[in-house]
Amino acid sequence: MAVQPTLASAPVAAGQDIHQDTTVKMFLLGAVGYFAIVGVIALIIAAKFVWPEFLGTISYFTYGRMRPLHVNGMLFGWLLAADMGLAYYIVPRLCGVRLWSEKLGVATSILWNIIIVSAIVSLLGGYQKGLEYADLPTPVAVLVVIAWVMFGVNIFGTIATRKYQQMYVSTWYLMGTILWTAFVYLTGNFATLLPGITGVNQANLTWMYTHNAVGLIFTPAGLAVAYYFIPRASNTPLFSHKLSMIGFWSLAFVYVWTGAHHMIHGPISQWLQTISIVFSVMLLIPVWAVVYNFIATMKGQWHQLGDNVSLKFLMSGTVFYLLTCFQGPMHSLRSVNAIVSKTDWIPGHAHMAVLGTFSFMAMAGVYYVIPRVFKTTLHSETLANWSFWLFLIGGLGMFTALWLGGFWQGWQWNNPAIPFIDTVVALKPVWMVRFLSGIMIFGGIVLFMFNIISTAIGAGQRQAIPQPVAVKA
Amino acid sequence: MLQKTDSNATGFVVAALGLFFIGGLLTTVAPPLLDKSWNKPFKNSDPAKGPTGKLVGYTEQEMRGYHIYVREGCKYCHTQQVRTLASDVKRSGWKGVDAPVSTPDEFVYDWRQTFGTKRTGPDLARVGGKYNKQWHAAHFRNPRDLVPGSIMPPFPWIADNPQELDDLVAYLQTRGRAKDWRPDNDYEK
Repeated sequence: MAVQPTLASAPVAAGQDIHQDTTVKMFLLGAVGYFAIVGVIALIIAAKFVWPEFLGTISYFTYGRMRPLHVNGMLFGWLLAADMGLAYYIVPRLCGVRLWSEKLGVATSILWNIIIVSAIVSLLGGYQKGLEYADLPTPVAVLVVIAWVMFGVNIFGTIATRKYQQMYVSTWYLMGTILWTAFVYLTGNFATLLPGITGVNQANLTWMYTHNAVGLIFTPAGLAVAYYFIPRASNTPLFSHKLSMIGFWSLAFVYVWTGAHHMIHGPISQWLQTISIVFSVMLLIPVWAVVYNFIATMKGQWHQLGDNVSLKFLMSGTVFYLLTCFQGPMHSLRSVNAIVSKTDWIPGHAHMAVLGTFSFMAMAGVYYVIPRVFKTTLHSETLANWSFWLFLIGGLGMFTALWLGGFWQGWQWNNPAIPFIDTVVALKPVWMVRFLSGIMIFGGIVLFMFNIISTAIGAGQRQAIPQPVAVKA
Repeated sequence: MLQKTDSNATGFVVAALGLFFIGGLLTTVAPPLLDKSWNKPFKNSDPAKGPTGKLVGYTEQEMRGYHIYVREGCKYCHTQQVRTLASDVKRSGWKGVDAPVSTPDEFVYDWRQTFGTKRTGPDLARVGGKYNKQWHAAHFRNPRDLVPGSIMPPFPWIADNPQELDDLVAYLQTRGRAKDWRPDNDYEK
């Protein structure tokens, strides 16, 4: 039997000093900054549900322009940038070599900042392409493609020069992310604009993109981060290499088929809806394989959660992953879809995926990496703990309020005797709870940002964290 | 094969992309080839086959209105699809008449699909002809004047701009009109 490439067997201490990590620092600090800036926008749009006149007479701040900014800002400004920054940290360490080109990495980071700033300006100006998740105007989307190629070349270049022949599962997930994202992004942003692509055809390409933006960009990137940091933060080897392979290859095969489940009961071919439902249900396989692996890795190690903020984020992210990916297949069933589709349940579900799962995993990575790349210790463990509880309680408040409200809304819609406006008025308390939960989440973001920036600024005044010691697998 | 991929980067790339392209091509490129209604504009003159009518392309003015609809992100709160659900058919109906279900051939000239994913406000798939221009003008200025309890934002920069208001209303009046579903042709202008 082949030697299993357990994470802990990589000789970390020997390779620790070869890394320069400038790119890691630039990407992560930028991402944390955008997290806070876009957090303000998130709060504003949550407030608009409660006070519709709020900032309502200024065209730049109208809901329909701020919502795409919120979505794209969180997806590309915060989460993808954080995952990329963590990839620049993880891959060289798993390969036992330096990053292929630090200069290229720095250039990628600068380009990424140009992209985010242009996105903010153009979206507020109303220059949106009009396709969900692909809202960025085409020139900005072209820059994203260039930046992604630069990122891909650097990561694949590092992998090509690796010293450790066998690749750990995080490396596969990151390679998968780079390859799939390239095609998924091109589909959503460029194939949709080809001449003759209109109506349902365009919608089908858009759903292929939006669904796989989550499923084949943020899922593999987030899982790469979790697969690396759960063993690292707990100093425990991964439970099963084989199970991680089952999870990976079933994800690679199943995810891409499910786009049309965004139009169930809608004007799109019935047989395509059925295919998307079948594959959506099959998604339970990769998800349960991954979650079981994470939970089993923690067996006998749960006591570590008490004083380890990164692990707290990682394991609650794992639970949210299990829940959100149970909801997803269930939503695709025609009977369930008839109630929850298009309601406020859906943002509850989407936030559990992007905030509860993948942002939690990325934050765990940032909390772990920043003190190490700045060769210091975290500014404050207490504040980090506070940020976790604010995120968790605010997040749960938001998710559950939206699920209950959305479910209720769906039942009301299914009774046409209830006028539509009554179903709007009925949800006002739910939107108030969402706004208040949002304030808690934003509090968490602010503490997170403050802690990370203070750690970076205060570096050198504190002792560095001792180098991690290799654990016998 | 799987046992080897974890040390073979080239094999990995081929397998990961191969699996992706099987599903990707079969669910995006194949469907419009198999289902002609995705690209063929709606046309029906036989009442026995359902609502009659014909999908026509947008005029220049309607297209300008369409761009405003996209610019303001209207689709983030308004879907445009009458789903095959009894409640959708009733809710998109008007004055006691049920609305026809949306079909792919009604959207062939849609340069930006506007089906939407979230229904914060009512569905607009059959809004064309329900309200006249005066109603829309007052509604864009302040939705709560006409619909108490509404949370739609005001759009003074459109209401105060006669050209933009005309364009946007012209676009809205096209919604759902490919199918002649009103019994007395009682569409508002």
